[in-house]
Amino acid sequence: MAVATPTLVGMAEIHVHQGPALYSCIGLGSCIGLVAHCPASGVSGMIHVMLPEAFKDKPIDKPGKFVDVGLPELVKMMAAKGANTNRLVAAYAGGAQVFKIGADVSSRLDIGKRNAEAVKDLLEKLRIRTIAHEVGGSNGRTVTVDIASLTVKVRSINEGEKVLCVLRG
Amino acid sequence: MGQTITLEDVVKRTPDLPSIPAAALKVMRETDESTSNAASIAKTLSQDQALSARVLRLANSAYYGLSKRVTNLQESVVILGMRCVRNLCMVAATYPWMSRKLDGYCLGPKAMWSHSFGTALAGQLIARMSKKASEDVVFTAGLLHDIGKVALSVWLENKTSAIVQYAELAQVSFDVAERRILGYDHCEVGEHLGRQWNLPDEIVAAVRWHHDPDQCQPSSNIVDCVHLGNFLTMAMGFGLGGDGLHYSVCENSFVRLGLQPDALDQITDQFVTGYEEYEKLFEDLSAA
Repeated sequence: MAVATPTLVGMAEIHVHQGPALYSCIGLGSCIGLVAHCPASGVSGMIHVMLPEAFKDKPIDKPGKFVDVGLPELVKMMAAKGANTNRLVAAYAGGAQVFKIGADVSSRLDIGKRNAEAVKDLLEKLRIRTIAHEVGGSNGRTVTVDIASLTVKVRSINEGEKVLCVLRG
Repeated sequence: MGQTITLEDVVKRTPDLPSIPAAALKVMRETDESTSNAASIAKTLSQDQALSARVLRLANSAYYGLSKRVTNLQESVVILGMRCVRNLCMVAATYPWMSRKLDGYCLGPKAMWSHSFGTALAGQLIARMSKKASEDVVFTAGLLHDIGKVALSVWLENKTSAIVQYAELAQVSFDVAERRILGYDHCEVGEHLGRQWNLPDEIVAAVRWHHDPDQCQPSSNIVDCVHLGNFLTMAMGFGLGGDGLHYSVCENSFVRLGLQPDALDQITDQFVTGYEEYEKLFEDLSAA
């Protein structure tokens, strides 16, 4: 049986599918890979965000770079494929941080933590229910999603692969 | 780690240890001299045919979008400039061995390359913003900052996870854990290797102190640029291995460079965009 090739969701990319799909976000450091699914329509989407917010003084070349414009864009793209935006569920992982020892490091440098907080806050604002998330720590992660089984897996070099959740609404 | 091996042994006994072609090092030095010109750089480069061929191939890559094909080295220096050819020369000299996988650090094929080139680019960008360090020197130092891993990888025997576990238990960064377990870290191994290769002192300092720039005496803006470039590259997930982000970031590097931490997001955005553009160059590197 042929093995389906996952859609690689690269940095700042947003991908949306209707029906069964495989997604993969490889090499997440402070970035976050987020998958959303609409159980009513079977529409799903994944985004790989880099930074919490877009720059006020600069045009946005790729909305998927930023949490504050990327997540609404993902929802918009899913709605265009037929998703019911009131029924979306999501899962996400990433937001790793450098390991700091006793240093008085500015929170501005904590890109991972800022990304994770921005995603959490915006999902709440958009009323999208989070099924599971795994953020923080200092390991790089890869997130894979199989929409046919609604399984979200997270893998890191040191901790191996584990099932993060099943995306049931 | 199975056997006790000294730092000196790592550098002496590692099989298939890479080196920088002598012609590449000469080009690097010559471009810093006021007497150099396109003809002299081309003459030096032409002493190494394999390196010359790779540099020409890179000069003709889609990335530079030249209207006509460059067929000789002197022409490539005239069209692209000495600084650009110097950097291409270092890229051509390091890519063949940096793109190999490093099992000891759980780095797959091209992961070390992706991280090193990312650090070179991010460091160069930081040097440009701060105006306090030579962009070209930072580029080379960024490219070479993790050379110690290339030598040490063989001896780690896939024990990176154990070092990470120790780092987490002892609440120390990965380089500190390396020192406590092995007696030295990849930065010290890199320093030895850099001296063996006869690299300039400012580049050896960046290799040695890229995780701890406050310890570099006297302080060096080149080291600070490489440290922050390395931090950004890790944060963006370029070539993360088993050591992941188990390192510290030094805020004093921002202060010494006169940069505000608030500038970090802008730098990150510019860095990632710049890296994506360079992927055209990587296609030609793979073929070269």
